[in-house]
Amino acid sequence: MKKFSLVLALVLILSLVLSACTTPQATATQAPEKKLKICQVTDTGGIDDKSFNATAWKGALRAQDELGFEAKYLESKEVADYEKNLNAFIEEKCDLIVTVGFLLGDATKAAAEANPDFKFSIVDFAYDPPIPNVVGQVFATDEAAFLAGYLAAGMTKTGKVGTFGGLPIPPVTIFMDGFVRGVKYYNQVKGTSVEVLGYDLAAPDKGLFTNSFDDQTKGKEFGITLMDEGADIIMPVAGPVGLGTAAAVKERGNALIIGVDSDWFLTAEGYQDIILTSVLKNMDATTLEVAKQVKDGAFKGGTNVVGTLANNGVGIAPYHNLDSKVPAELKAEIEQIKKDIIDGKIKLADIK
Amino acid sequence: MATSTIVIHRKKVEVISPTRQRATGIIEILLGVLIFLFFRRTEPGMVARFVMTPGGLDRGAAPDWLIPAYSTLLVLAILTVILGLVQVWRGFGRWMNLVLSVVVGLTVFSFLTWATAGKSLNLVGMLSAAILLGVPIILGAFSGVLSERAGVVNIAIEGMMLMAAMVGALVGSVTKNMWVGLLAAMLSSMLLALIHGVLSIHYKINQIISGTVINIFSAGLSSYLSAKFLQTYQQLNNPPIFPRIPIPLLADIPVIGPLFFNTNLFVYIMLISLIVIQVALFSTRWGLRLRAVGEHPKAADTLGINVFATRYMAVLLSGLMAGIGGAFFTLGSVGRFDEMMTAGKGFIGLAAMIFGNWTPLGAFGAGLLFGFADSVATKLTILGTGIPTQFMAMAPYIVTMIVLAGVVGRGQMPAADGTPYEKE
Repeated sequence: MKKFSLVLALVLILSLVLSACTTPQATATQAPEKKLKICQVTDTGGIDDKSFNATAWKGALRAQDELGFEAKYLESKEVADYEKNLNAFIEEKCDLIVTVGFLLGDATKAAAEANPDFKFSIVDFAYDPPIPNVVGQVFATDEAAFLAGYLAAGMTKTGKVGTFGGLPIPPVTIFMDGFVRGVKYYNQVKGTSVEVLGYDLAAPDKGLFTNSFDDQTKGKEFGITLMDEGADIIMPVAGPVGLGTAAAVKERGNALIIGVDSDWFLTAEGYQDIILTSVLKNMDATTLEVAKQVKDGAFKGGTNVVGTLANNGVGIAPYHNLDSKVPAELKAEIEQIKKDIIDGKIKLADIK
Repeated sequence: MATSTIVIHRKKVEVISPTRQRATGIIEILLGVLIFLFFRRTEPGMVARFVMTPGGLDRGAAPDWLIPAYSTLLVLAILTVILGLVQVWRGFGRWMNLVLSVVVGLTVFSFLTWATAGKSLNLVGMLSAAILLGVPIILGAFSGVLSERAGVVNIAIEGMMLMAAMVGALVGSVTKNMWVGLLAAMLSSMLLALIHGVLSIHYKINQIISGTVINIFSAGLSSYLSAKFLQTYQQLNNPPIFPRIPIPLLADIPVIGPLFFNTNLFVYIMLISLIVIQVALFSTRWGLRLRAVGEHPKAADTLGINVFATRYMAVLLSGLMAGIGGAFFTLGSVGRFDEMMTAGKGFIGLAAMIFGNWTPLGAFGAGLLFGFADSVATKLTILGTGIPTQFMAMAPYIVTMIVLAGVVGRGQMPAADGTPYEKE
């Protein structure tokens, strides 16, 4: 039995060590003076989700390179990890704790109220009433998705485009909302009747959702189903699950993908030829901005940093390989619409 | 060999109580009324168009199937009510479950017709998606059947699949050969199965604990290696994918061809293993011995069957099946690995195994049902039936609960399942 206990103990220790190994990752060399620490708690989906966790982490890394911070992260494997990870960083005495994602809203609120001396920033959440030591990072993603929707409507050959989300929560549905409005605007301007599968402005809850940010086979099935029903441009708003959709599209070969959060042309290896564009949500820029506030001693707790088309907090990625396929006229129209949205000439809420 | 003395008796025909007979009949009548009251409310003259060729295929094409929604639904409603009335009045005896499944099938079909009225729906595309969604679940369930029939509970299927998915992606990318990737995936998960075997057969520790340890270990190791290598160096996470392999002639049969004979290698593996495992377990001496070890190891031992060796073999085969199931994620479906991408499919596979009463055929049916419910939910959402997405996500599990409680009744678990064998 002794031998057995040894084996069991080894397996247990090994598994605990390995599950903990990815975190936290300190990349800094030993600095003579005390460095400011920027600490990121991710949502599920992992730090390498090619999507929102990864983009926010890029912001933290930029803070490390450009502002001399020390960047660390803890991955949340499940919802129960949020609080645990936040507490770990409070014990670490981090100078700025960045929580990534709407789903961390409650956990961040609790941690911020219990630790009023710490500085927090949360992506995709604006507290009402504001919490004095939290800066929210919110995005007018619908403005960028609107451009993508207009583009998709102009590019579709079947007259149908599709979208689906991970969960029916505001930071996800805002993409789908803007996308649908963009298509509708195209229909109004051009007198066409391009249809969007998977989301209805009148009933956001009844759209197409995977209810998971991990299940890529489901993303693939959604892709196949949308293509079967005629969609030839698909925008998956579900982090890495969208890569399953990209696999389905690549296999079928007669449809295109619109990426979200980061430029998928750069991050999704092997799918360069089917990425029409990506709806960018530049969380790295906003995270960096909050880090700068902390460094300069100008941390404005209780306020929000808003990313818009105007300040490049959101936008759409270049067309890259498909540049020659997009008609010059359509490109010009999209540039014009971008200007009109910034100037307030086009109001998204008016397009139904 | 006196193998005939350890015949395992299972009650084949349950006596159906009058209450159960009437309750089933009433459920059937209610379903008929449901069709009549809710689904029939389409405009007369509306046509439901079912596309019978999955998108992107030209072999085995079939013309679209157009049905007049109103009259079809009326006929279906009447048929269902009649079946229900007969059931209440005199019952269908041993055909009861079959009739009930037919009625449930008709109800689902009515639902689809109602949702499709005035629109079009790719029916065969939906079934083909259902099969692909079912593949990992069914292979996981086969894995469970093999080990539990020999008396070893294997809840580590999820962990084995996750590990196999990661190893398959890594080795497939490095060697640029999907077959080597598949082989490596199977070996990695058999290695985990061996650990499970040593812990639970040799050291006789609780099989649930041993399985949990392997699940945690796999989640940790695969996430660690993924973060360290696969995500950092994209060329390590870009394996080739098994292409569609059309089988000559058979692939050209309408409907059946695209579903079963022009598809992924993993679907073929699944169908072949279904037949092989079903026959091997229930019609060969090998299978009888394996089941004897799971039902009454002491008796089997007395008759000269090596209980430990049989259990080791069963657990290793279980690992093999889980390995193929895991490889499906990276080499058969998506072509890359991401953390925790098996998303609980191994556990759903276990549920399918229990649902299928520890038989390969039952597990296959259960897995298909899960896949079907999932793909119906997707289709209906796209058609815009106004049913909230959360409810759609629940649908497969609601179906399971109803079928488990109502149709299957009490499952027959192998008697010695989960009990380590102590040789005296």
